[in-house]
Amino acid sequence: METIIRLENVIMEYGGNGTRVAALNGISLEIGPGEYVAVTGDSGAGKSTLLTILGGLQLPTSGRLVLGGVDLTSCTADGLADFRRKTIGFVFQSYHLLPYLTARENVMVPMVPMKRDAREKADRADSLLDSVGLSGKESRLPSQLSGGECQRVAIARALVHDPPLLLADEPTGNLDSATGEQILELFLGRSSSVLRA
Amino acid sequence: MNIRTLAWKNLRRRRSRALFTGLGIFLGIGTFVALSSLTSQMEGAVQDKLDRYGANILVTPRADDVSLGFGNIALGGTQVARARLSTDDRVRIESIPMKDRLARVVPYFLHAADASGRSLVWMGLPAADLDVARPWWRVHGSLPGNAGEVLLGSEAARSLDKGPGGTVTSGRSTFRVAGVLAPTGEKEDGMVIGEIRSVQELAGSPKGVTYIEVAAHCKDCPVDEIVAEISGAVPGAKVTAIRQVVESRREAVDQFRRLGIGVTAIVMAIAGFSVFVTVMGNVQERTREIGVLRAVGFRRKEILSLLFWETGWISLLSSASGVAAGVLASWLAAPLFGIEQAKVLPGMAAIGLAVGMALGILGSIPPARKAAALSPTEAIRSL
Repeated sequence: METIIRLENVIMEYGGNGTRVAALNGISLEIGPGEYVAVTGDSGAGKSTLLTILGGLQLPTSGRLVLGGVDLTSCTADGLADFRRKTIGFVFQSYHLLPYLTARENVMVPMVPMKRDAREKADRADSLLDSVGLSGKESRLPSQLSGGECQRVAIARALVHDPPLLLADEPTGNLDSATGEQILELFLGRSSSVLRA
Repeated sequence: MNIRTLAWKNLRRRRSRALFTGLGIFLGIGTFVALSSLTSQMEGAVQDKLDRYGANILVTPRADDVSLGFGNIALGGTQVARARLSTDDRVRIESIPMKDRLARVVPYFLHAADASGRSLVWMGLPAADLDVARPWWRVHGSLPGNAGEVLLGSEAARSLDKGPGGTVTSGRSTFRVAGVLAPTGEKEDGMVIGEIRSVQELAGSPKGVTYIEVAAHCKDCPVDEIVAEISGAVPGAKVTAIRQVVESRREAVDQFRRLGIGVTAIVMAIAGFSVFVTVMGNVQERTREIGVLRAVGFRRKEILSLLFWETGWISLLSSASGVAAGVLASWLAAPLFGIEQAKVLPGMAAIGLAVGMALGILGSIPPARKAAALSPTEAIRSL
């Protein structure tokens, strides 16, 4: 089967004050195109750690993180940044929108380092905001949006660069159940693979 | 939207912090421009005044010391001039190769002669040079305007009981008293001062000159070269640089410059430290934001670039306003420092702007490096 990303026997340990705690213990995982993967577990089970490793935000203590045949664990910091930019879209539980930017500008943030025409960037952001049901609210600041709307902006931001893999860490954790259902529906039907904790 | 506009939007959101960061640069550059402008203009003003207020080279006839004695008894000594100066020597001095460095050349002729029945010293100098040769003289009445007028020293006026409008006779000549000199504490107080040709006529020495005062423009004054050239032009003369005057002029100018540099260095160091502290605080506050940017794929150099753009905007605006404030302050303060005509020095303003930008960027290097080195994991943990 074709894979987007593969974890091979990944171990992640956190240490400090002479103690070591294993957050992940020999995890192997493959994610194919268009797959929707939900990771469940108790609090502290290592779901967020798994997402940060898959997203290239941190490297495992041992094991391999393979993308297109390349082991990312040997990449430089800038190599990992490029990997995140091209391959990963993140959605966080607390949205983490930049409060001084409008909804449109927040969606455009991942495209800031890209050398693209400003109009093209804005059109792309507007189109995504439209697809998550925020048409007409492009110029609002996060403080002028509800929690559900903020999470929709965060999803649009995660999708703006067409990442093959979307990582969502408890994306409905701060939302009521009705809004949470609406948000989960947004993940479905996307061409990106989705891994949700 | 690009990194430049992202930086600008962040500044607009954090106006008070940006203002606080810029305040250090504003004050530093304002002080730098004000002090540098004042120092520079004071240098010019002091130099101008010093050049106006006295000679720094004295030309006298070369003389031999002769000891007098009888047997083993010493009777003191005297000087015998080997050559005499004449009014032609003034022309020779004014023709030396470095003549452009000479502010003025004034010949003096001293002669003891009768003045309305009293024996007084007459000092002659060209009437046209009277006001520039001794600009500190205060005169009751007016300066002599022609060969028939004299100026009386305060003591001489008292002993002759003469004032402006009176007359003084010497031999067959009669002179009108044009003015009386306010006390100077110098030998001029007891003299009759007139046009050099009149005094030469009284002495029967039509071209006689006792000494010549030379004032050189003394900013970076090559006094030794000027002295050598005058010695060459007037071989029979002894040319003496009044080094103390020259050195004190240089000393005064250097002291102003050192004061300016010292104060400016202290203020700039404080401004740089202030930028460092505020930008470092800014980075600490924005760990989460930097984490988000790293998570969406910003490279380290893009985080660096973002912070440099932010500090660059602040530095540009605060430096420009600091330059404007400094120019205004120096303009307003100029009269208090004896600067008669305050000037805007465009070069100083440009340097101020460049220094302000450099100060901001240098002060933000350590915090920017810290931000760029921030591990996304650490930032993400704070999310």
